[in-house]
Amino acid sequence: MPRNISRNTRNSKMSMGMKARKKRVCRWCKDKQSCRDLYIDFKDIKKISRFLTEQGKIIPRRTSGNCARSQRQLASAVKRARHLALIPYVSDVPR
Amino acid sequence: MAMYETIFILDSLLTQEEIDKTIDRVKEIIEGNNGKVLTIDKWGKRRLAYEIEKKQYGYYVSIEFEAEGNLPQVLQTEYNFADKVIRYLTYRYTKNKLKARQREKEMQKRSGENLGIEDEQKEKKTAAKQKVEEVENA
Repeated sequence: MPRNISRNTRNSKMSMGMKARKKRVCRWCKDKQSCRDLYIDFKDIKKISRFLTEQGKIIPRRTSGNCARSQRQLASAVKRARHLALIPYVSDVPR
Repeated sequence: MAMYETIFILDSLLTQEEIDKTIDRVKEIIEGNNGKVLTIDKWGKRRLAYEIEKKQYGYYVSIEFEAEGNLPQVLQTEYNFADKVIRYLTYRYTKNKLKARQREKEMQKRSGENLGIEDEQKEKKTAAKQKVEEVENA
């Protein structure tokens, strides 16, 4: 059946073709306490921009591995940074 | 009383005097409304990530202050009125931000102390070296 074949190829692509992903661990939290006290500063563009795509989009949690708390803070930090023109809302990728 | 930070971007083509004037104006407003200015941090001229009002550069100023809850609104009307201000952001410090701020301060203190210790150690080391050299020479 063609349907099955396509599925299989897709699965094999997922396991082989994609970049080897590291463990999905939140990079903001070292331990429980640091997770609770976490504050993501929107002025720290270097740290934030690791969680943005080239176009300036926020990378989803399922890819970056952030925990819910970090992702929520990250989102608001990114939005503040964008408002203050520290990072672009959109940056075009040259084709 | 809660702690706030307000950041605003001024036209980078303004003279230093005009910049200082607007900063003083904001300071007056905060202090005139029972607020307390804690720190004033001039980030200086920076390139904007995107054009705002056809401008490529902006002069960033950040002011930390303590005030009652109605002050951010007062500031907002002021910012909207002043056409020198391109962008502004006023936000209240969360619990975690306050903790992080305190930690930072402690770190600064500690690093200051550590530097002192390191200097002493260096001096000791150099003194010891000199002694060794003296012995060798003799």
